[in-house]
Amino acid sequence: MSLPWTVKYRPKTLAQVAGNKTAILQIVDWLDTWEDGPPKKRALLLHGPPGTGKTVSVEALARERGLDLVEINASDKRNREALERTVGAAATQSDLFGRSRLILIDEVDGINLSEDRGAVDTIVKVVEQTQTPVILTANDPWDPKIGPIRNATTMIEYKRLGLRDTIPYLRKICEKEGVEVDEQALRLIVDRNQGDMRSIMNDLQVLCSGRKRLTYEEASWLGFRDRRATIFDALRTAFTSPTCLQARKAVDMAGVDLDMFFEWVYENAPRQLNDPRDLFEAMDSLAQADLYRARINRSNAWELLPYAIELETAGVAMSKEFTKPAWVPMKFPERIQILSRTRKTRSLQAQLGKGIAARCHISSRRAISLYVPYVKFMTRNNESAGLELAKWLGLSDETMEYLGVKREETEQPVAVQKARRKGAKVRKTIKRKRETA
Amino acid sequence: MWSEKYRPGTLRQMTNQADVVGRLKRFAETKAMPHCLFAGPPGSGKTTAALCLAHDLFGERFMDAFMELNASDARGIDVIRTTVKEFARIATISEVPFKILVLDEADNMTGDAQHALRRTMERYTDTCRFILSCNYSGKIIEPIQSRCALFRFVPLNDDDVAGYLKRIAEKEHVRIDQSGIRALTTASEGDLRRAINTLQAAASVGKPVDEKLVYEVVGKVKPDEIQELLETAIKGDFIKAREKLRSMLLQQGLSGKDILKQIHSEVLRLPIPERGKIELIDAIGEIDYRLIQGADEEVQLSSLLARLGLASSQKRSS
Repeated sequence: MSLPWTVKYRPKTLAQVAGNKTAILQIVDWLDTWEDGPPKKRALLLHGPPGTGKTVSVEALARERGLDLVEINASDKRNREALERTVGAAATQSDLFGRSRLILIDEVDGINLSEDRGAVDTIVKVVEQTQTPVILTANDPWDPKIGPIRNATTMIEYKRLGLRDTIPYLRKICEKEGVEVDEQALRLIVDRNQGDMRSIMNDLQVLCSGRKRLTYEEASWLGFRDRRATIFDALRTAFTSPTCLQARKAVDMAGVDLDMFFEWVYENAPRQLNDPRDLFEAMDSLAQADLYRARINRSNAWELLPYAIELETAGVAMSKEFTKPAWVPMKFPERIQILSRTRKTRSLQAQLGKGIAARCHISSRRAISLYVPYVKFMTRNNESAGLELAKWLGLSDETMEYLGVKREETEQPVAVQKARRKGAKVRKTIKRKRETA
Repeated sequence: MWSEKYRPGTLRQMTNQADVVGRLKRFAETKAMPHCLFAGPPGSGKTTAALCLAHDLFGERFMDAFMELNASDARGIDVIRTTVKEFARIATISEVPFKILVLDEADNMTGDAQHALRRTMERYTDTCRFILSCNYSGKIIEPIQSRCALFRFVPLNDDDVAGYLKRIAEKEHVRIDQSGIRALTTASEGDLRRAINTLQAAASVGKPVDEKLVYEVVGKVKPDEIQELLETAIKGDFIKAREKLRSMLLQQGLSGKDILKQIHSEVLRLPIPERGKIELIDAIGEIDYRLIQGADEEVQLSSLLARLGLASSQKRSS
């Protein structure tokens, strides 16, 4: 393979940058105001998902205007000294050859608070004092650690690229490369990469290499085989590795985030381990890993992560001792699907629990187990009694529908229902309730 | 709900727990009372007694002087520090110089919250009396227990339950025969709330309530799911057991903690080797602790199911 397409076809001018035209116009306007001296906010913060063109816009802009681009990014060390040496100097001193400069501080949300000590303060200081335009980029501008930077800059949003931004652009590239690509195939590639131009280009190049034509089927087949193979291989590694060291690698192979990887292992452990002794060991390791994950979530104790990872990979791999060899296919984590499918039911259950709690001197948690089954039985067997009950409990239409109760034509005003629900915790009179009961 | 409609409103209307009610009546007459701890099984009248006492004491001023908090819903230390304090510190000016704050299901309060409560109880004793209710007084920390007068509620006996049920049936024009009453009292095990709810559910069908109908309701509303779950796990069908657990958690919205408690109450009766049970108890305790730490309910409970499968497979091989 020759040059990566992401480099080969990197935009040279602003016109070549795909999508986000409004954002680019804003940047140009802002830069123009510098002709009358530094504007009020001396820096821009371009923010948006990866591969939407933040950095290439700045590069193209510098090239078009003949500006000397001083760039510093996450791979550079960015503590106070390093920043003052590079960016700080560029911001105050003029270029040897009298050329104007443009400063780009890439990926500010990637600043590491302990490694890049003092970086945020230094950047804010530079931004406030600079005599040279400064542009910063970030994926997540709401990251609390860059709050001070956010306040000192003008924010410009880069959106995910859509089909309209990308397809014509990709078409041109395919033409130049002499590959005929079906419209559907292009759409699929764009879709799957969620408007991330960098990964779109990478995928396209991989799929096109050695071909004259790329069809939808080929694109989908190749693509899916690729992604699935990774998680399946990773799971095999987690379930069959002979050593802990090897098993631990499964996490990096998986290509899915850590929570998802855990779900895959948890779902498949009982299918892959057919001896109760092995299964017990594996589930025990997973439960232990889960405990570490809970602690991590509770207190952001990321230093505990390695233990969770090793327990859910090596711990599972080592539990295989008595299982008889058998090839069992891996299954998608069902829990994820059920969780999203039943979300509404659970929220209705909770509402019902609250309604009962407000009326029956009981906690909503216990109401779900002590009252809900009876309420359900009654509403299913006796429509009018069910309706009366539902009204007494002040249930919402949705909750009533869940119980199978139809609301009458004469509805209660919403305010009344709300007022009833409002008294959930503090119950003041039993009299009023007995009258309506 | 009939269980609310027919909840006694004054101490005089409470016909059971004679011992407890007698002492509470004296509080109402003398308009003086200590902090109280009501301990007893569900449906034995703890909340009712607290409501009745407050009603007899405060009468019309009930709304200002009485507050009820459910410790399971609002059990955090924040609630103790804010809501409880707010209510407790403001005195009332009247012949009854204190307010009453009922903390229901107090045994579900965290240890930290209980300690915070202890200070609050002490500081505002002049202006507020606390009534804590719980199933087991043992779960209440010692310092709080020592500040409270303990009232033990016993499960209602069958005659008391039958008496209540007959009165309600009469008022609601429900036809019920002797076999129906007997089935209701047996199935509710002295839990009056459950007995009344079951009666109301049975009556909603619109047929005369007899033994058959009662057991039909009982089977529908409280299928022995825990039993089924445990049996499946013991049989060694882990995948199916996990599916069952999943549906209990996600579809029925039961809390992991409640499921764990129910499993715990069954463990000693399970058909597995006796020695294995000790390990199970330990494992259940560990899981309970982990759930408090925020661990995933399904993952933790399914590790318990796997342990059950293991314990029973050892029985089969030995």
